[in-house]
Amino acid sequence: MFSKLDAIEENLKIRYGNNSDPWGLDPKRALIDLKAILPLYQYYFNVRLHNKERILDKPYMVVSNHTGQIPIDGMLICTAFATEVDHPRILRPLVERFLTSLPFLGRWSSEGGAVLGDRLNCLNLLKRGESVLIFPEGVSGIAKDPKNFYKLQRFTRGFLRMAIAAKADILPIAVVGAEEFYPFVFHLRKIAKWLKIPALPLSPHLFPLPSPVDIYVGEPYSMPQELSIDCLDEDLEAHLIEIETRIQKLTEVGLQKRRTIFKRS
Amino acid sequence: MTHKMKSVLIIGIQGALAKITCELLIKRHPETKIHGVDSRVIDQTLHPDKISTQQIRYTRTNFEKIFREHQFDTVLHLGRLGHSPMTGNINKRIDINLVGTNTILELAQKFHCKKVVILSTHHVYGAHSDNPMFLKEDAPLRGSFKYPELRDVVEMDQMCTNWMWRNQQQVETIVLRPCNIIGPQIKNSITQYLRTPLAPLPVDYNPMFQFIHEFDMANIVVESAEKLKTGIYNVAGDDVVSLSEAVDIIEVKKLKLPILVVEQLAKIMTPMWKFPHYLISYLKFPATLDNSEIKKLLGDDIFRFSAKEAIELLKYR
Repeated sequence: MFSKLDAIEENLKIRYGNNSDPWGLDPKRALIDLKAILPLYQYYFNVRLHNKERILDKPYMVVSNHTGQIPIDGMLICTAFATEVDHPRILRPLVERFLTSLPFLGRWSSEGGAVLGDRLNCLNLLKRGESVLIFPEGVSGIAKDPKNFYKLQRFTRGFLRMAIAAKADILPIAVVGAEEFYPFVFHLRKIAKWLKIPALPLSPHLFPLPSPVDIYVGEPYSMPQELSIDCLDEDLEAHLIEIETRIQKLTEVGLQKRRTIFKRS
Repeated sequence: MTHKMKSVLIIGIQGALAKITCELLIKRHPETKIHGVDSRVIDQTLHPDKISTQQIRYTRTNFEKIFREHQFDTVLHLGRLGHSPMTGNINKRIDINLVGTNTILELAQKFHCKKVVILSTHHVYGAHSDNPMFLKEDAPLRGSFKYPELRDVVEMDQMCTNWMWRNQQQVETIVLRPCNIIGPQIKNSITQYLRTPLAPLPVDYNPMFQFIHEFDMANIVVESAEKLKTGIYNVAGDDVVSLSEAVDIIEVKKLKLPILVVEQLAKIMTPMWKFPHYLISYLKFPATLDNSEIKKLLGDDIFRFSAKEAIELLKYR
């Protein structure tokens, strides 16, 4: 266990060095966070990464469904990419503007690798060889009522244009198990709007339940080279549907094999 | 094609950057006639045999007289009044930055000046939580959104760029928007902040900063006058450092406080602590610049010092 963590640490040090990057990633701080999260990842959420051989040592635009009320799914995907793949890397989740403005939390997330969700940031990161994590469902994906759990919300198209511009492969990901972190949830949408925050989920428990999580990696998807970044929305529609379908299918496979809090193996 | 400077007007000659620029010009173009003006008292540190200086009020009459007498082909406007608490109230800044600059631009055109270089600032973009890293020159200027005290800075930039496009057939105008200029001679707010014996450092934010050494900046002003074409150019090196890293490099003592306390402290301590409260947002959020335009035209090796080296050199003042 310790030798594996040491190897990961060594690999990450070689890749990122000791200095901050322009988006505020602090490799030392990220490693400290990783060490703190890893026990939760391994034992509390009992995460399993499926089809990890599909992840090569190249920059990807990782696109995932968004579930679980608070973005723990993003944290778990990032931990998987940093600890379980052959070429560990710190995945750069593109986050809500709201998060970057928050004291402490904004700093902590940036130092851990999170980046403001902006097209320019996305493009520059991919051009520098970084992999980004995107949740194209946005807040409507994560903040769902129980009746809509695991129903994929409509994706926004911006990420496809960025993939075209950066010539980056899209890696579809499905996370299963995160909706059960907060199975009984009620959304105070009007109050959230009044408070100018993206969502305000209300749950009988503050801490997420120890639902086991499965992360499924899909086949990488390349956008056609002849497509321009300024193409019409209609030209992107088929690709958008294809990626949504791939993630939905991965989710359905995951739901058939779903583990529960009481049946974790 | 390189623009040959025969007669240069430097506005704001008493400023540290203008003096370094002047030294560079004398070294590289000894035949060029240089005339420096400032509204402040001008000390005698410059070569009196190679440059003529004049303390003037920035009025149309005074400038017209100077333009008529010297027939400048190049104007380096480095005289923007900074927005530190030491530089007086907003009315004085508007007078110098807006009215003064407008007069200079009009006269440059009237007297057939070929090139005008204007030093603006990255503060025009403003530090916001939704700023992407590496703002391009066409990013919106939101500097005065939160702090109206900065409106003269934004308005001066806008006025210059509007004028620039309108008169591009007659005068080649270059607007430079540099990142934080630091150096042993510069006395701007960020340099003073980094030199404070006890630097208040927000514990809840750690924005990324770009720094350019005063020598590099002066060099770019000269190179811009020689080589750049009409346009707006961000000026920043490739490396970016976090605020806490910068304070660590310079080895000043840190006073780690939540930003709310730093904000109140800045209000109370003004003007003893020479960091205006309306620049506090730069201690929270980044405003970093994309440098691809200037590098495309002046080359990748235009910066002699990295940001970290520039900070290091502040230690040996």
